[in-house]
Amino acid sequence: MQRGAVGCIWLYALASVLLPLGLFGLHALGPRWFFPALLPDSLSLEPLLALIGNPRTQAALGLSAQVALLVTGLAVLIGYPAARALTFAPLVGRGVILAVLFLPTVIPPIAIGIGLNSLMLQLGLAGTLIGVCIVHLIPVLPYVILTLSSMLSRYDRHYEEQAQVLGAGAWQVWWLVTLPMSLPALAVAALFAFLISWSEYLFTALIGGGRVITLPVLLFALVAGGNPTTLAGVALLIVAVPMLAILLASRLLGGGPQVVGVR
Amino acid sequence: MYQRSLLLLLCLMLAACSNTPAPLAPLPAPAPLDDWERIVADARGQTVNWYMWGGSESINSYVDQFYGTALQERYGITLNRVPVSDAVLAVDQLLSEKEAGIDPGSIDLIWINGENFASLKQADMLYGGWNQKLPNSVLVDYTNPALIYDFGVPIETFESPWSSAQFQFIYDSARTDPADLPRSYAALLEYACANQGRFTYIAPGPGAFQGTRFVKGALFELSGGAEQWRNFDQAQWEQWSPQLWAYLNELKPCLWRTGSAYPATEYELHGLFANREVDYSITQSVTGAGALIAEGAVPETARAFVFNDYMIGDYNYVAIPRNAPNRAAALVLANLLLEPEFQAAQILPENGFGLGYGIDVRKVTDEQDRATLEAAMDRLGAPATPPAELLAALVPDAAPEYQSLIEEGWRENVLIGN
Repeated sequence: MQRGAVGCIWLYALASVLLPLGLFGLHALGPRWFFPALLPDSLSLEPLLALIGNPRTQAALGLSAQVALLVTGLAVLIGYPAARALTFAPLVGRGVILAVLFLPTVIPPIAIGIGLNSLMLQLGLAGTLIGVCIVHLIPVLPYVILTLSSMLSRYDRHYEEQAQVLGAGAWQVWWLVTLPMSLPALAVAALFAFLISWSEYLFTALIGGGRVITLPVLLFALVAGGNPTTLAGVALLIVAVPMLAILLASRLLGGGPQVVGVR
Repeated sequence: MYQRSLLLLLCLMLAACSNTPAPLAPLPAPAPLDDWERIVADARGQTVNWYMWGGSESINSYVDQFYGTALQERYGITLNRVPVSDAVLAVDQLLSEKEAGIDPGSIDLIWINGENFASLKQADMLYGGWNQKLPNSVLVDYTNPALIYDFGVPIETFESPWSSAQFQFIYDSARTDPADLPRSYAALLEYACANQGRFTYIAPGPGAFQGTRFVKGALFELSGGAEQWRNFDQAQWEQWSPQLWAYLNELKPCLWRTGSAYPATEYELHGLFANREVDYSITQSVTGAGALIAEGAVPETARAFVFNDYMIGDYNYVAIPRNAPNRAAALVLANLLLEPEFQAAQILPENGFGLGYGIDVRKVTDEQDRATLEAAMDRLGAPATPPAELLAALVPDAAPEYQSLIEEGWRENVLIGN
């Protein structure tokens, strides 16, 4: 039973991730691969190395990382207090607040994006890194807050009170009790924030106005030209970083499931 | 407590929002266009934001390597090439800037032609008066009707040419004998129906001018000439358009996927051609298949060919928006594009650009420059259409009014209809 389930997971991984990525790898390494050739004539690292060595690609990679990390930091900083407030504070109309928060995930992004663009233009933030980061928070925050509040709904605040009773100050409670107990959920929320921001195209293109060129913006410009070798190379680059982030997060979470509050 | 912090956060956000940007210091008056030395001096240290279609990595690297380096070394200007998936995005950007009253804006120079130029000119978003003030504009033939009309719209003083292009087909010499190539639209119909599913063309429409151009060529052949389409004539259109749709509908069942689907871009068609789904592709490059071979988009045995007549040729341009933040640097770059050494470099397939001259070689007086330009043409080799054949088949584009008539008419009568 257990083995069968593991087999299914591997099959799924093979079909959904490894096969497409393998195909991308062949395209990235084998230029001039045309039908009816079953495999590229020759494989060469040259196109991929040229792509990685290109200063434009490097700049886009750096900028993507900068944006995604900034958004992750901001999202956790804003999302955590918001999630706590939404879970514990005696709020009236909690449902309405949640609904408003999730609205951006339901409305087509292009509709939001165009409105935001004119707002950002007026604020003088269009075309700036910080403007793009702020706009990324809109699709990112709902997921961060949802992740954190689902953790908090099972979070036993008596542990905090216990620590207070034992004489811990506010800072000690936060550092020794709250943070360790919230860490797994924070890591998951941060991962979501990073992944969503990393792959965001539309908002970056609209608000960035062509001046904030992240990897997805680069990729979409290249899609118009349809050269499979370059496309596959950039796509692999875009996929590689989230893969690393997921690996890192699963390392941080210790691999197995954890019961929040029991450590 | 949480409520209070939430409230505080809200207040902070509101405060941040109401914080209007500080008014900009008044800019020093720009150098007059007649004072080129002062323009060059003003441009030093500027960054020129050049918005251009970024779909081809080989064009991108050509631009960075050739112009980027020269701008930095000779003029102290930094090139910021902004790749867009479609030039219409730059147009949209300018229109939003106009609406929001943003000046200076974000775009200094755009690679542009056709509908995008027409919409910016109509929106009064282009800076004018400059193209014939560039020192290198003496090399441009500003009396050539093919150059001074961009898809039929007068360029006036709003655009300066970069390169030229002419409609051509591509075939694979490993698969097709050159003797069997169709040389007219009539012969193409025969070929397509004798070889079911082996031909298709790019769907005409905004952003896919190659497809529109293919249809215009058919219109010219059916009506027996390109000249009468230079000016708009509704009666003439009504006379000939039914025959145009009849021709295309006769061709339709013989096309790839029996004409139920069409490639949307030139590169989709190259992909179908390279993977042997169809026998011909379409290009606008003076190198014929050369640049595409160098890029790895088509097999090395690909070659270009033209029909005996009605192969539309035109120019493409750069334009400067009215609210360009670095106008001087944009002018220097527009002038650099016309420099004979870069004109010679841009046509060679190994450099990755592969479009024809924007200047008129006959106007180049410097012996050495002229020799370089002529030698470059000689180096295009087998993948290119011989210049004599190109010239023999060359016709100018039709009046701009026909553009949307053809695109909409094709959609109604060919794609959906029948």
